[in-house]
Amino acid sequence: MKPPNVAGWLVVAVVVGVGEAAVRLFDLHDSVAAPSAAFGALVAGLASGELSGEIGTTLESYAEGLALAVAAGVVLGVVIGSSRVLQDASFVVIEFLRPIPAVALIPLAILFLGLGVPMRRFVIAYAAVWPILINTLYGVRGSDRLLHDVATTSGVSSAGRLVRVALPAALPSIATGIRVSASIALLVGVTAEFLSPGTGGIGSYMHQQQLAFQLPELYGAVVLVGILGYAINVALGAAERHVVFWVGEARTGAR
Amino acid sequence: MIARRLLGVAVFAAALGVWELWAHAEDSFLFPPVSTVAERAWQVWPTSEFLLNVAGSLKRLAAGYAIGAAVGVAVGLVLGARRGVRLALEPLTEFLRAIPPIAIVPVLVVMLGLGDAMRVAVIAFGVCFPVLVGASQGVRAVSPEARDTAAMLHVGPAELLYRLYLPAALPSIVAGLRVALSIGLVLVVISEFVGSPDGLGYYILSSSRSFNVPEMYGGILFLGLLGYVLNRLFLLAERHVLFWHYGAAGELVR
Repeated sequence: MKPPNVAGWLVVAVVVGVGEAAVRLFDLHDSVAAPSAAFGALVAGLASGELSGEIGTTLESYAEGLALAVAAGVVLGVVIGSSRVLQDASFVVIEFLRPIPAVALIPLAILFLGLGVPMRRFVIAYAAVWPILINTLYGVRGSDRLLHDVATTSGVSSAGRLVRVALPAALPSIATGIRVSASIALLVGVTAEFLSPGTGGIGSYMHQQQLAFQLPELYGAVVLVGILGYAINVALGAAERHVVFWVGEARTGAR
Repeated sequence: MIARRLLGVAVFAAALGVWELWAHAEDSFLFPPVSTVAERAWQVWPTSEFLLNVAGSLKRLAAGYAIGAAVGVAVGLVLGARRGVRLALEPLTEFLRAIPPIAIVPVLVVMLGLGDAMRVAVIAFGVCFPVLVGASQGVRAVSPEARDTAAMLHVGPAELLYRLYLPAALPSIVAGLRVALSIGLVLVVISEFVGSPDGLGYYILSSSRSFNVPEMYGGILFLGLLGYVLNRLFLLAERHVLFWHYGAAGELVR
């Protein structure tokens, strides 16, 4: 185990302490919440179930949207990546759609799907699909020709080659794509909630607290979202090391 | 090569054709035919009102990007060069980095109001972290031999930074800057959704709220075009700045 980062946590404590002192000394309560008040609101919100309910709503559409994006991105990426013709055919369409920021689609998605969960699921999936699709595509394309040739001469069908050669070879890039997508998807999901007030989710909650000028509750929610984002990063990093464990060992001869 | 490009263009044209026919069949005001969208774009895009929206977005992007990039490079270089500082700031930066920037929008609205200071701050916040990580990792990847040689030659800290760390970290700083550019554009739009008097985000949101649907589609397409052009310009500049890097690692040339 790594030794605990004493200096790091000391810095956090000092920053929190200085913040607390500054808010009290200069009476900044109108524009900033004191860390103690924010922490109190966070604990109270979690204890009463209000905050945990909101974050649960957020996580639900987030997980659904991300799962849709992983499924669509990996399947499309493997299929397109293993065919020259499909790559050429889809190139312009992909290059056209990819630069459109998913957040710009939120107003459009609201018109079509309303303010609820289906809209959020859609924009999250749209935002998340591109990094996964592109990384899968490049991963498949970059896979070793020799492996394909060996599989072909061993009588593996072309569908079998996709699943047994192209997909595992692309797994490290797929993992990278998912990690990139995860943080974009969280940003887009919380933004979609922020723009649909009163319909649940941590973004909608933050918007309400801002309008009601409930700063401790607002800051508590921000801290909670930060912890959520951090937990997602850590969990995906661990999952990546677990699933594509061979990358560190075998990379030497990779290209 | 040309035949392959043509196939892509043909598929794209076919997709537009499907959009056109499908929209005519559907006949819903939410789903205008692409010809209607193009017609409205042709009328609206050259107007000074629309161009002011574009200018407003670009202005905010430039300010936020410049501030975020400067902070990211400065802090990242220090974090990369000084292990002690890096460890001491690690929990704090890791936590701040994990916050989706939309979450600090309400915080900044309360602190700074609904003006451009809030928008520029949000953009700078989001831009700063990829650049910071790039700079820090770039410096950490400097070979021990180069460090030892510099130490042996008694190179001063300022010169060390300028002559060794900055050039060595440049490719990875540039990679961070490229990621930051697309994040910056996303944050321009998000920040303009909140109380902005102009900008592309404002244009898209207000078009949708007043049910000017073709205009809204046009705004989204314009944003995609803008993102594409900015990315292209970035790649051009990157090749210009990093010609030595690409020269050395030939396969990276795209």
